Parts: sequence; structure tokens; C-alpha cells
Amino acid sequence: MDNRTGQSEFRDGFSQTVPLWMGVAPFGAAYALAARAAGLNAFETIGMSLLVYAGSAQFAAAALFAGGAGALAILVTTFIVNARAVLLSASLATPLRRLSTPARAGVAFLIVDESYAISVARVLRGADPSYLVGSGFSLYLAWLSGTTAGVALSIGVNGWGPRGLDLVFPLSFFVLLLPYLGTRPARIAAAVAGVLALCARLIVPGSWYLLIAAVGGTLAGGVADLSAPPGEKRS
Amino acid sequence: MSHWLVIAGMAAITYVLRAAPLVTSWGQVEAGVARHLRHLPPALFAALIVPALLAPAGTLEGGVRLWAGVVGLVAGWRTRSIPVTIIAGLVAYAVLRWVVP
Repeated sequence: MDNRTGQSEFRDGFSQTVPLWMGVAPFGAAYALAARAAGLNAFETIGMSLLVYAGSAQFAAAALFAGGAGALAILVTTFIVNARAVLLSASLATPLRRLSTPARAGVAFLIVDESYAISVARVLRGADPSYLVGSGFSLYLAWLSGTTAGVALSIGVNGWGPRGLDLVFPLSFFVLLLPYLGTRPARIAAAVAGVLALCARLIVPGSWYLLIAAVGGTLAGGVADLSAPPGEKRS
Repeated sequence: MSHWLVIAGMAAITYVLRAAPLVTSWGQVEAGVARHLRHLPPALFAALIVPALLAPAGTLEGGVRLWAGVVGLVAGWRTRSIPVTIIAGLVAYAVLRWVVP
């Protein structure tokens, strides 16, 4: 792959992810405040963002630390909350096969919900994966900056952050969802996942709802494929 | 010290989940599985959107936040632009909070 394409794809991925910083950085700051309140020191709080880089799992871990949970409970929770990462990576495995194994191992660290969301359409079209790397790196910086800001603010402040900022995520994901709704199976996948996610969110504690809905919706779309008119099957 | 052990464990688990399908032969997914995974993006997006709008804290919640979200959705539908959509939603939220006591 030629270098220039890679560089400009990286830049595009980085800059087109910047709007999501508005949601990610405050979330990082909120995590940091929760972690500090749970008794992690400043280095541990930032270290977790640096090494784990998974928002909801880190939040859950902070809550568990605060509640005095054991290491095993925290690790099991991490596994459950992040299990959907397997699905995200698996769906990118085919287009990323052109990269060397070490390159894929590096890219893997940067695949989070938001970078996946921003990049998946391009990567599946066969574009240079540097876009995904740029997007993931952009979010990583925002996550670390937010965490660091939160640590700086963690002098007894609770519930910091302007309210309503969390709307950034569903609204961004909605714009990213729209291009997929052209075929009936995809609409069915989205509808089933949306309903499942809401029901599971109301009934099941924790982040299980994401995994349940992602699996259920994906399967529903696959089943709908089988009954789709031939013209729509391949799209 | 034990905090660092837990953090290292979390990092390892998270990374293995992200990397396994890319660096092991799991990546060679069979055609049937691959066809199902084609519908993962719309399913995941819907799963991230619906509860975050209707039940952000795990219980149904209407009011200003939901209406601001609806304004954002309409803007997103019309413009298909992420920055415009975010700004429309946040401005609507700020205005509604100010108007609705």
C-alpha cells in the first residue's frame, strides 16, 4: 500500500473522530473522578486508561473497587462488558488480513465502539486501515486527556461534567447507522437489536444488554437474509 | 500493588478479546458466520442508541433529555452530519433546560 494514502487516511480518521471528543473526554474525566473516589491513586487511575482503554469496563471496575469487590469479580466483569469486542474484531478480520500479524496486533488495541463505528464502512469497502488507526488513536488521546483532567479535578468534586453531554454518543451513532438502513435485513437487524437492547437494559444489570442485542440483532439480520428477495441479498 | 495486578488483568482480558479474531485463525471465519457479521454494525449501533436515549440510567426516562435527543435525531436524519447532529442535540438540550424549569 502506498505511504501517502496511508498518511492521509490516518489524518482523515483522526480529524473526523474529533467531534466525538466532546463525549469521550468528559466520560474519561467522569471515570477518573469515580476511580479516585474508589481509592485508586492518580497513577493507577491514568494507568488503567493507558493500558485498558475501555470506558464502560473501567467505569464498572471503579464502581466495584469502591464496593470493595475482589479481583476475580472485577476481571469477570471486564470480560462480560468487553465480550462484544470479539464480534467487532471478527467482523474486520477479512479486510484486515492484508496487514502483517504484528500490524494487526497493534490495530486491535485501537478497536473500540467509537473507532469501529466511524471506520467500519470504509474498512469493509477495502480502504487503507490507517483510517481506523487514526480514529482509534484520536479517541485514545481524548480518553487519556479526559482521564488526566479528571484526576486533576479530583479534589473532592462529585458528578462533574455538564449534563446532556452523553447525548453525543447516541446522536453520533444514529448518523453512522443511517447508511446501513438501505436493505430490509439490515433494518430488521437494527430494529431487533434496538428493542432487545432496551428490554435488556431495563431488566438485566450491567452491560449485558449490548452483547445480547448485538448477537440477537445480527442473527435476526442473517435470518432475514434467507427470506430476502434475490436483488437485496448481496447488498 | 494489588490495584496494579487487577489493572494488568483487565488490560490483558480486554486486549485478548480485541486481538484474538485478528491474530488467530478465528479470523478465517466461515462464509455463514461472515454473512451474519455483515449485520453487526446496524445491530450494534441500534443497541448503543436506543437505551442511551430512552433509559440512560437503566430506567425509562423522558423529559428534556429525550426531546433534545429527538431534535438531534431529526437533524441527523436531515443532514447526515455528525457535528451538526451533536450541536443540534446539545443546543436543544440547553434551550429546553432553560425554558422548562
